[in-house]
Amino acid sequence: MFNKIALVVLGLLGSSYVQAETAPINGVVQSRCIIQTDVAGTYGNPNAYTLSTDPQAGGEPVVIRYDVSLADAYYAEITAPQEFSSSPAINDTLTWSGDTEVKAVSDATGMGQYESTKIELGMMDRYDLTATGSTWFKTSSEVTLGGNKAFPGGNYTALVLAECIAK
Amino acid sequence: MLWALAVCWPFYSYSDSITPYYGATNNAAANGLQWSMDSVFPSPPGLDVQNVIYNYTIHKPTNEQVDVSVQNKNALGAGYIFRETDTWLPGSLDGTQINKAVPVIPNIPKEAWGNGSITVDGNGSVSNARVIYTYRVDPCYDPQFDPNCPGYKIPIPNIPEFDISTLYDATEEDADIVQYEEDKRYKSEEELTDEEKKAQEEKEELDSKERLEKALTAADNSAMFAAALAQAQMLQTLALGTNVNSYYRVTISGGTYRESITLVDKQIPDNRNGRRNGLAQQLLHTKMVDMQYKK
Repeated sequence: MFNKIALVVLGLLGSSYVQAETAPINGVVQSRCIIQTDVAGTYGNPNAYTLSTDPQAGGEPVVIRYDVSLADAYYAEITAPQEFSSSPAINDTLTWSGDTEVKAVSDATGMGQYESTKIELGMMDRYDLTATGSTWFKTSSEVTLGGNKAFPGGNYTALVLAECIAK
Repeated sequence: MLWALAVCWPFYSYSDSITPYYGATNNAAANGLQWSMDSVFPSPPGLDVQNVIYNYTIHKPTNEQVDVSVQNKNALGAGYIFRETDTWLPGSLDGTQINKAVPVIPNIPKEAWGNGSITVDGNGSVSNARVIYTYRVDPCYDPQFDPNCPGYKIPIPNIPEFDISTLYDATEEDADIVQYEEDKRYKSEEELTDEEKKAQEEKEELDSKERLEKALTAADNSAMFAAALAQAQMLQTLALGTNVNSYYRVTISGGTYRESITLVDKQIPDNRNGRRNGLAQQLLHTKMVDMQYKK
């Protein structure tokens, strides 16, 4: 008697669990390259047709910090601005110039040669982050309005693009 | 609610006093590349350095290597208690800064931190140097700082210890004998003989006179000093009262003061009354002179 009942139950169970199932696998990857803006830049206005981050022109360059906890795994690519993200309407051509350089390092031996081994591609500078630690990059920017015309009054904002590219 | 706050407040404020706290020094290299730690660390005991944070700007030829060391001598021994060396390889550029935070082995006593310095080995130099020490202070480093500190001991007054055997014990057998011998030196009035009583009375009378004399002498001395002082003050007062300015202001007229007395008769006769006396003296004089020639 017990054996029959057991068989019926098993048969019922077997028929009801014929289906597909998926199980998720979650993972979190902590970034080993963190980018922080230490100093937001400022444009000075040494003359009517120039905006510059040069301190002598009343401006201040951008300072960006890269914190890397995995050596020889990333490139730092920093691109100086080539357009305003916001500005008054400008009806003339703009001439942009910009440069990035290493301002400070946390490891003289491992990072001291970053500046001399960087690759410049137009407005973008690429650094090979071969050591762990923090590196401070300084980006300067200057823009001139065509024909030496005066910039219209208003607020001007340009963005420096800083990226951490995995090798 | 207020009651609960009032009850809890003393507890929290009390425990805060023993909670370790953190801090940072001023720039030790503000006045140069060598510094004394005496003027850098604060005074509380139980100070434990956590990190040395420094930054500077390197100046060097691009193609040369320069080694820069930030260090502190070991004040309790030889060598250095802390030393961090940055090797600037060829290719590193002039004007590059370094920002560095170096953890320190914990529980190094403050006294071990000797003079600090930044040294440059190679053809280079540094500028804008800044060295900061972060630290942790444990108020309970000395457990007696606060009763809540672990290991606190209730202070016991410092009671000097004596060797009991050297103290006099009236219950000891020998002590009775000593006391008896001491007592034997003095006799009661009934035990004295008449001669001894008389001698004792004379001695007491003599002592009494001597004491009185000393007291009077002391009183005399005091009175003498007081009188002298009063006299000095009186003379001083008199001197102040004397106006001598009038003597200074007197002007004596100049010129020649001629003799105003004229002798009328030029011959002065001998005194008749003295003639006899003069003659007697002359006779005596002549006699004395003749005596030496034995006339």
